[in-house]
Amino acid sequence: MHMADALLSPVVALAADAVGVAAVGISVARVKKDEFSEKKVPLIGVAGALVFAGQMINFTIPGTGSSGHIGGGILLAGLLGGVPAFLSMTAVLIIQCLFFADGGLLALGCNIFNLGVIPCLLVYPLVFKPIFRTAVSYRRLSAASVISATAALVLGASCVVLQVMLSGVAQLPVGTFTALMLPIHLVIGIVEGIVTAAVLCFVHRARPEVVTASLAGGKLDGIPVKKTVAAIAVLAVLAGGALSLLASKNPDGLEWAVEGTLEKTAAEAPGAAAVVPGAAQADEQSGHPEESSTAGALHVRAAGIRDATAVLPDYSFSYDGENAAGTSASGLIGAAITFVVAGAAGLSISLVKKRKREAAGADA
Amino acid sequence: MPDAGARVRELRALESLAAGRTAVHRLHPLAKLVASLVFIVTVASYGRYDFIRAAPYLFYPFIMMALSESPYKLLLSRVLIALPFCLFAGITNAILDTTAAFTLGGVTVSLGIVSLATIMLKMYLCVMAALILVATTPLTELTAQLRRMRAPSVFVMVFEMTYRYVGVLLEEVRSMIIAYRLRSGKKKALEMKHMGSFAGHLLLRGFDRAERVHAAMCCRGYSLKHIPPARRRIKPSDIIVMLIVCVPSVLLRVVPLY
Repeated sequence: MHMADALLSPVVALAADAVGVAAVGISVARVKKDEFSEKKVPLIGVAGALVFAGQMINFTIPGTGSSGHIGGGILLAGLLGGVPAFLSMTAVLIIQCLFFADGGLLALGCNIFNLGVIPCLLVYPLVFKPIFRTAVSYRRLSAASVISATAALVLGASCVVLQVMLSGVAQLPVGTFTALMLPIHLVIGIVEGIVTAAVLCFVHRARPEVVTASLAGGKLDGIPVKKTVAAIAVLAVLAGGALSLLASKNPDGLEWAVEGTLEKTAAEAPGAAAVVPGAAQADEQSGHPEESSTAGALHVRAAGIRDATAVLPDYSFSYDGENAAGTSASGLIGAAITFVVAGAAGLSISLVKKRKREAAGADA
Repeated sequence: MPDAGARVRELRALESLAAGRTAVHRLHPLAKLVASLVFIVTVASYGRYDFIRAAPYLFYPFIMMALSESPYKLLLSRVLIALPFCLFAGITNAILDTTAAFTLGGVTVSLGIVSLATIMLKMYLCVMAALILVATTPLTELTAQLRRMRAPSVFVMVFEMTYRYVGVLLEEVRSMIIAYRLRSGKKKALEMKHMGSFAGHLLLRGFDRAERVHAAMCCRGYSLKHIPPARRRIKPSDIIVMLIVCVPSVLLRVVPLY
């Protein structure tokens, strides 16, 4: 479910990056308040590494013959508490992106939001924790894990759809894309939830204090989780708003979405049309569960408008009529030449370097 | 089962690459970081059908790989990991968008194919830029740079610890999997009911180990509050190299050549 740079427009990606940075900043401030934070840091690191190593442990899913692996924010949150789990997940995502090309550098913000903020800062405090109001039991632990892991994955997958759609890189209709993504992630989420439950139950049996401490974490540290969530949501809206105002001046991938909101708001309040699209855009980017239904409707609408107009004003000049065929074909040859020249440049540098090394070796 | 040993080797391979001593390696980490980010942002900002306009950016990975003496096979194999999701989006574009873009030798190329090619090119460029950054900059230098940029020390430490423990836990997982396979009649994968105790044991062992290591570090005077950011001045040559990457990237994007 890792987002790649190539599927995002910079505006969407940078807005998400801003949200990611803000979420990390807030979380760090929260963790620092904890007296024992310094002792906890290595544990946070180990738990993150476990998620990573967990991807190497394949297990067979009974009755299907296929296999899955553990991974995910809910497991981390169950072990460490929401805020430290978020930091750990962020570190894991950065390592995956830098060293294993899993998700891009620019797309980090989106990945942090989809796989970090959603499970650790939204689903964990709002779904997982309330289940343990009274006591911790295996049944509750299992139920909480399955429900939250599924919810987190499905929410994350819908955000992936939303971000790709907002970027306007992929052309899949929103409905089809969602229909493809959600069932798969629903199943994965349930399996992940079962395994998360198994691990949490085991840890609870061996070291009950780990699980109970993480559950109590929110209250003990005086971390007002809801405030954190609200702050992140506000930041998401602000970042999205500011950047989409920028984008509307220089429309790129966001163009059609902005167009859609413009039409809608223009119909409602003609005077406010210039300001509102930014805000409407931001609502979509925040990817908030409450707003996802309206955002979805907006997308369907926007996609309709886009299909109806379908002129690609920015690019149409190179694709209309006979001349376009000539330009594009010659452009393609130009691209091929660029490729060859770039490759040759690289190769010649390597060759020169190799010569030099050999010469140096001969001298020595 | 994915080979944990292979992943450890992958990690080590990048680390040993980063320990090289070419001119690219000697650049200031900030210069490399800024250059990579500007490059990625400009590449990502290209539109859906801008295959031809984005092609000149291929100079960057090719020349950087050559200058830093990075083996292209190793980096290319990494790029393949990022492939599936992009390919999925790209192929659906190719199927859905059948408007003819141009004909090439009698074969009509649709806009969908152009957008598939564009996504693939952009993916290659972005992934390579990130990989070249880590293949030429040791992690300690990157984190030191993060500290200099006043990134919160708690987070930087979480990051460093996670990175270090990934290697440790992967080794541990490898031996645990071997032990499991030997005792289970060489099963290909774990049974799901064993997952809880398998991962749980791994975690608890890791926790204990991390606590011991941290205690040992504290005994030697380590404290989160007193990590001085390593000083390293940025030289004019670093800035010049940074500009050599950034200025053409942005110019190419802003000025339409063709």
